[in-house]
Amino acid sequence: MALEDKLLGRLKVAIIMDNNMEEVALLASLHMAVLHQVHHMDLLKVVVVMDSPCRGVQHQGDQEVLMEAMLLGDLMVYRDPILMELLSKASMDKLLKENIPQGVNAEAFSWFQTVDTDRSGYITLKELKQALVNSNWSTFNDETCIMMLNMFDRGQSGKIDLFGFSALWTYIQQWKSLFQQYDRDRSGCISLQELHQALSQMGYSLSPQFTQQVMTRYAPRSANMTLQLDGFIQVCTKLQSMTEAFREKDTARSGSARLSYDDFLTMAVGRLL
Amino acid sequence: MAYYNNQPRPRGVPDQSFLVSVFQRVDTDRSGVISDNELQQALSNGTWTPFNPITVRAIISMFDRECKGGVNFTEFTGVWKYITDWQNIFRTYDRDNSGFIDKEELKQALSSFGYRLTDQFYDILIRKFDRQKRGQVAFDDFIQCCTVLQRLTEVFRRYDTDQDGWIQVSYEHYLSMVFNVV
Repeated sequence: MALEDKLLGRLKVAIIMDNNMEEVALLASLHMAVLHQVHHMDLLKVVVVMDSPCRGVQHQGDQEVLMEAMLLGDLMVYRDPILMELLSKASMDKLLKENIPQGVNAEAFSWFQTVDTDRSGYITLKELKQALVNSNWSTFNDETCIMMLNMFDRGQSGKIDLFGFSALWTYIQQWKSLFQQYDRDRSGCISLQELHQALSQMGYSLSPQFTQQVMTRYAPRSANMTLQLDGFIQVCTKLQSMTEAFREKDTARSGSARLSYDDFLTMAVGRLL
Repeated sequence: MAYYNNQPRPRGVPDQSFLVSVFQRVDTDRSGVISDNELQQALSNGTWTPFNPITVRAIISMFDRECKGGVNFTEFTGVWKYITDWQNIFRTYDRDNSGFIDKEELKQALSSFGYRLTDQFYDILIRKFDRQKRGQVAFDDFIQCCTVLQRLTEVFRRYDTDQDGWIQVSYEHYLSMVFNVV
């Protein structure tokens, strides 16, 4: 299907991506999907430009017009694996960069479109849980997802917007690179000994008994006393937060603090993540 | 099992055959063990939102003696009693049957358990356990709130040997106290 040039003036462009290729195999249903999408995203008028994603854009001419359309003004890009193959990575990066709001990480921006499965503009707990996977292919545990959702949900709405998601993405990447660094035997998980070394290199001075206690609480039963990325993030984040709480009371840095019942509850519950 | 249920509910200890039929309905994969997911799906907080998965995990681990990741029938009878006990408490304080209790109702509930807490701390509790961001606490979050409070109080008491309401703790002791609870 050729593009209609007259539609490509200064109009906003939507490029449809659908993970379930079978469902959009028919051009008719693709049209429907696009129209629905357009309405949802509140774009003014949108060009429906693609051949069925199943077959990809087949004509060289179509690709050029498509690129031109994408490089015009406001647009939404949904990553389509086939489309991605057609367009060079460089032009896609350029395209993405031009449309990413300031302060949002480019990869996070692109990932957001994939994770936000209902295209609501927000990531919910369910969407987040579906998106995050450990190196053994297990999904992230609920506690870690809820903890991170609370940390990056700036509007206290129970869901994350694009900016919060970008910050969350950076946060996970940082922990992931530490995780890989401390997983010395490259087993894909952190053992008790690796955790102890990791914590001590992060500057915590804790006894092996404490690390053991942490491992018993946070390692999933099935995992034979090892942590996946989710558990590692959970442990490190909580440790950080509780340490801050303790330091606020231990102003003399003596390593010991005097706490009333109310202090204690406020510290522990106030720092619940 | 649902918090709101129009069916007449057996009072006190329900008979065995009733619990067996409940267990079989909840154990959807017929494995003889009720998992987190199965229990979560069976429970309702009365507000049409999924039951708090952290509350579910906490309840299961409380009764799962062999660390098998679920509860068998015998353990399930304990779970049943535990949840219905909480239901009865929650109902007493949720006077308008809204499925939520507000700060004043939470104060009444926790005071009746013997807690003496400051007003500021109640604000923190509401803020932290109000998962639906309504300024009120739903049934599942109420259970979590009470459990956390109970466990923190227990661990504090253990350290407060002279019972004066103050403790002196080292950094690592402090971490051990809270790390298993929160």
